[in-house]
Amino acid sequence: MDGFAMYAVVVIYFLTVAFLGYLGYKKTKDSSDFLIGGGKMNPIVMALSYGATFISASAIVGFGGVAATFGMGIQWLCFLNMLVGVVIAFIFFGRKTRQIGAKFKSSTFAEFLGSCYKSDRIRLFVAAMIFIWMPLYAAAVMRGGVFFMQEIFGISFDLALLVFTVIIASYVIAGGMKGVMYTDALQAVIMFICMIFLLIWFYKEIGMGFSDANQALTDLSDQIPNDLKAQGHQGWTAMPVFGSARWYTLVTSLIFGVGIGCLAQPQLVIRFMTVDSTKQLNRGVFVGCLFIFITVGVIYHVGSLSNIFYMQSQGCIASDVQVNDGGVLRTIKSDEIIPNFIGSAMPMWFSVIFMLCILSASMSTLSAQFHTMAAAAGYDIYGTWLGGRKRERKEKTTVVIRLAVLISIFLSFVICYYFQGNASQIIALSTSIFMGICASAFLPSYFCALYWKKATKQGAYASMWVGTLATIIGMLFFHMKEAKLVGLCRALFDSDVLLAGDFALVDPICYAFPLSAITIFVVSKLTAKK
Amino acid sequence: MFGIPDPQIWLVYILSVICVAFAAWFGIKFWNEEDEEGEISSLPRRKKNKKK
Repeated sequence: MDGFAMYAVVVIYFLTVAFLGYLGYKKTKDSSDFLIGGGKMNPIVMALSYGATFISASAIVGFGGVAATFGMGIQWLCFLNMLVGVVIAFIFFGRKTRQIGAKFKSSTFAEFLGSCYKSDRIRLFVAAMIFIWMPLYAAAVMRGGVFFMQEIFGISFDLALLVFTVIIASYVIAGGMKGVMYTDALQAVIMFICMIFLLIWFYKEIGMGFSDANQALTDLSDQIPNDLKAQGHQGWTAMPVFGSARWYTLVTSLIFGVGIGCLAQPQLVIRFMTVDSTKQLNRGVFVGCLFIFITVGVIYHVGSLSNIFYMQSQGCIASDVQVNDGGVLRTIKSDEIIPNFIGSAMPMWFSVIFMLCILSASMSTLSAQFHTMAAAAGYDIYGTWLGGRKRERKEKTTVVIRLAVLISIFLSFVICYYFQGNASQIIALSTSIFMGICASAFLPSYFCALYWKKATKQGAYASMWVGTLATIIGMLFFHMKEAKLVGLCRALFDSDVLLAGDFALVDPICYAFPLSAITIFVVSKLTAKK
Repeated sequence: MFGIPDPQIWLVYILSVICVAFAAWFGIKFWNEEDEEGEISSLPRRKKNKKK
């Protein structure tokens, strides 16, 4: 594919996105349209939007690289994403969320929890957590998208960041939830088709069938580097040794942390409120599940099998590939494996389509984040606090939320611009904290709002604080990955972490979530009215 | 099985396919399933504390 054709494809993509944003703008009349698409979205659009929001570029590029290093054990994450993130989320959480949301006329996750517990304080807390941590998380996603913009157009980071931000800002501000969901659906279709093609082309490229390729990968187990063997790596078609460093990282952080944490993510929960009946949710289950199965399942599968391709073409495994970095050869990083593999194994024109796929994954996640942050600031915080207790006129509220989108985008833009290089660890830490807070602080209260009538607002509020603090303390003092990055534990206690051995690899969700769940139970029992 | 020696790995592939099949079955089975009457009124409800 020549340069002109490549630019043409990308320009057509952006024009289509802009048109869908315009369509959303034309159909947005009030704050309900802007926040939850008027509650009457098509179930297929909703399911595709849910899936596209769920799967960010990190899930494809980052975890694809993890699959190339760790092997097929990462498929448990794909399975949990389907089972927990779609089947359980839609059937057990989505159904009740939609019903209660409609009953209380809730338009945001914070308002939903606030209404369930009859507490403005809870609503404000949830909105504040979203508005504090999500811009940093969004900046991380933004940086991934900008990286691919640079790759496609060969432009500077600054220009790519500006163009990327302006495009997303235009359709989120103008089209609101409808604009976001229409574009999400388009982006989901691109991702889906791209992954199907990747799978077919990959098997054609290596000249093997499903079982033969798996067997070839199994036979590569004698190529595992000694340092990975020492950490418990047993091959790409086997789980790491039980209780080993690799096992803890894979199971607690990647599988449970991400797989369970997805249940209470505000940008996903709000999508249940965009349809008008339970049957629409039922209809969306299959679409959502199939989408995850193909997009996530294929990249994890192909990522693992990329070791065969590299062994055939370069005589080494994926994590040992040497790349040219400014004239100097160095070993490839984990998140460079998938882009390198696509560039090496696939035809040139597919590389462009794949970059479009990554761009779609970034944009769909990012637009949902901007929308959620704006709703938290403009609707929840302004609506309950700055706006006093008076009900705002709907037109004015929409203007305020649009302004909040602009502020949210500007915040993420500034963070993405300034926190590069060494400071990028702050973004990585904040992303982990946000994920941890969603699971540990929000999930117990969210679950009890749906299923336990005896949960009190005091219990929910205490649980949110315990979940938040346990997550932050865990990441600063107990979990090696973040604690080592921040260095606070070393400064205070002259040690990277306060836990010994492999326990420092256990994700904080494993203790923050149970603590938060116990808190809501105990405090609700203590504060229950007889 | 399928060239994969570890049951923990081939099992997850089988479970994933079953999960998709279940989602398809569920979607078709409850294609027109609406909320049952009285279901919404039985949802969790909390009394607001009256301020003194």
